[in-house]
Amino acid sequence: MKILLIEDELALAESILAYLKGHDFVCDYAHNLETAQDKILEFQYDCIVLDLMLPDGNGFDLLKMVKKAQKTDGIILISAKDGLETRIEGLTLGADDFLTKPFHLSELMARVWAIIRRKNFAGNNRLVFQEITLDLLAKTVFVHQKPIELTKKELDLLLYLIGNAQKVLSKASIAEHLSGDMADMLDNHDFIYTHIKNLKKKLSEAGSQDYIKTVYGLGYKWQA
Amino acid sequence: MKQPLLHKTLRVYVLFSLAILFVMAPLFYFTIESLYLEEADETLELRKKDFEKASQPILSIAEIARWNTYNRDQEIIQNHRNIENERIFSEILFDSLNQEYEPFRILQSPISIEGQPFLFTARLNMVETEDLIESIAGVFLGLMLVLLLGFYWITKRLSTRLWRPFYETLHTIETFEIDKKQSVHFSETNLDEFSRLNQAIEKLIARNTAIYNSQQEFIENAAHELQTPLAVFQGKVELLSQEPDLNENQSKILIQLNESVSRLSKLNKNLLLLSRIENQQFQQKETVFWPDILEKNLDFFREQAEHKQISLHWQTSEPTPVLAHPFLAEILFTNLWSNALKHNIKGGQISIDLQAHAFVFSNTGNPEPLPSDKLFQRFFKSNPSDSGTGLGLAIVQRIVELYGWRIAYHFEDGRHFFTVCY
Repeated sequence: MKILLIEDELALAESILAYLKGHDFVCDYAHNLETAQDKILEFQYDCIVLDLMLPDGNGFDLLKMVKKAQKTDGIILISAKDGLETRIEGLTLGADDFLTKPFHLSELMARVWAIIRRKNFAGNNRLVFQEITLDLLAKTVFVHQKPIELTKKELDLLLYLIGNAQKVLSKASIAEHLSGDMADMLDNHDFIYTHIKNLKKKLSEAGSQDYIKTVYGLGYKWQA
Repeated sequence: MKQPLLHKTLRVYVLFSLAILFVMAPLFYFTIESLYLEEADETLELRKKDFEKASQPILSIAEIARWNTYNRDQEIIQNHRNIENERIFSEILFDSLNQEYEPFRILQSPISIEGQPFLFTARLNMVETEDLIESIAGVFLGLMLVLLLGFYWITKRLSTRLWRPFYETLHTIETFEIDKKQSVHFSETNLDEFSRLNQAIEKLIARNTAIYNSQQEFIENAAHELQTPLAVFQGKVELLSQEPDLNENQSKILIQLNESVSRLSKLNKNLLLLSRIENQQFQQKETVFWPDILEKNLDFFREQAEHKQISLHWQTSEPTPVLAHPFLAEILFTNLWSNALKHNIKGGQISIDLQAHAFVFSNTGNPEPLPSDKLFQRFFKSNPSDSGTGLGLAIVQRIVELYGWRIAYHFEDGRHFFTVCY
């Protein structure tokens, strides 16, 4: 799957590229509007990660151009500006998602996956990981073809873990992902322990392997 | 008690006028009275001279009784008491005409008729004189009163008009709020002092507003500029966490870095929010209903509360909807909620009471009351080692102020109460 990252801050771009690379992604990188334009017109991407503030122009212009060229690339905007207006403008212009800096790389990854799934499995949004199958439309999970009962949070957690497979996920990033807009109201991240425990229990009871590994102190990891 | 400027001047005027009235009225009365006595004495003297010249030379003792009959106010009597010198005095006598006692001015002068000593008496009824004095004094008093009232009225009118620009200026300054981004305009005045005052204030306000705005801008820009390096920082920490074979020590460092960057990013977000509220970036208003916000966030807070074994109660008694920016209203509500949770104790309680024109958050926690004067200040922390940003209640306060609501804190029966009246 091809992804284009448009970001002028080199250090941040490097981190994003390094994080995404291990996941069957082919990543392209543009550091300004002009290069990005050429690449978008020339290639087809599954997902474009676009920083709104670029040295040679506004990311919104690029967004308009993509939409005008009737490209179907999914677009995630990233911005240092957290204005509600900016967010709404971006989504109105046709962006698929919006992420405010600073963000967790794992969160970006989860969002990229969400977009790619929506693009590539139109109508039949299924995710298969060995014996586990997630039906994202019906919001049900099967282990060895048998459905298991998961809460909304547990399903969300499972999806997040699988989307960031082989990566160490900090408790903070999981807690913030599960809390959504309320992440700022969290004063500790211990509550995710209960969700992890329950998810592990339900999966193993259904006969799944234990893929959720605890990484000392740092967090958790989905390991095949 | 402070009194208005106009009252002060008017009071001085009124006191002065009353003093004048009380001192001058008797003075005036006695002056007029003495003038009239003088006048009466002269009249009596004249009558005596007239008698001496016209009647005395031709009057015989035998005719005295008859003469007395014809002259009502003049009389010749025996000089029984041997009065040697002429005298004038006042006396109350019975007036046979009016049938009552009335004041008289009396002249007695020793004379001789046909060599015999007699006493010439002339008298003058002073009743009319007194009436006259009273009328004059009355007219004078009335005049004085009208004059004073006029004086009072004119002063009041004139002062009010003269001071009007001052009061307008005062009102403008009173309603001015530096964070409200309003332009200040003083009405024109042709009085030099007030014109100068207005100019000086205008200059002062313009300067302060400029400084305030540039500070606000600085905060917003600084917070914005920090977002990107923060993103880099967070990304690098996350990337480093992916390294295989991290030892325990390295992991510990990474955890601490993670905590710091997450705290830093929260702090920065709150700073941005605060400056955006102050920069009037939330103009839009919608109908907001507190129970809706409560319900929307219930799951999140219930989960957090359960984790700390805190019981959560709420009750609604016909709360009224308010007009506010939905985002800010939610921030206000959830910040208070989150505070009640954060500063609680294991096994504690949180109560939310939604009333008609107020909502109250109360929670168990620190058994000591918090300093209510510092509570809403930026970066105030009841516990300095607390990992919070110290901006939550400052944001609450700013939102409450923005919509003209009020927030109050009190401590009762071991519970902290935060009441927002809207």
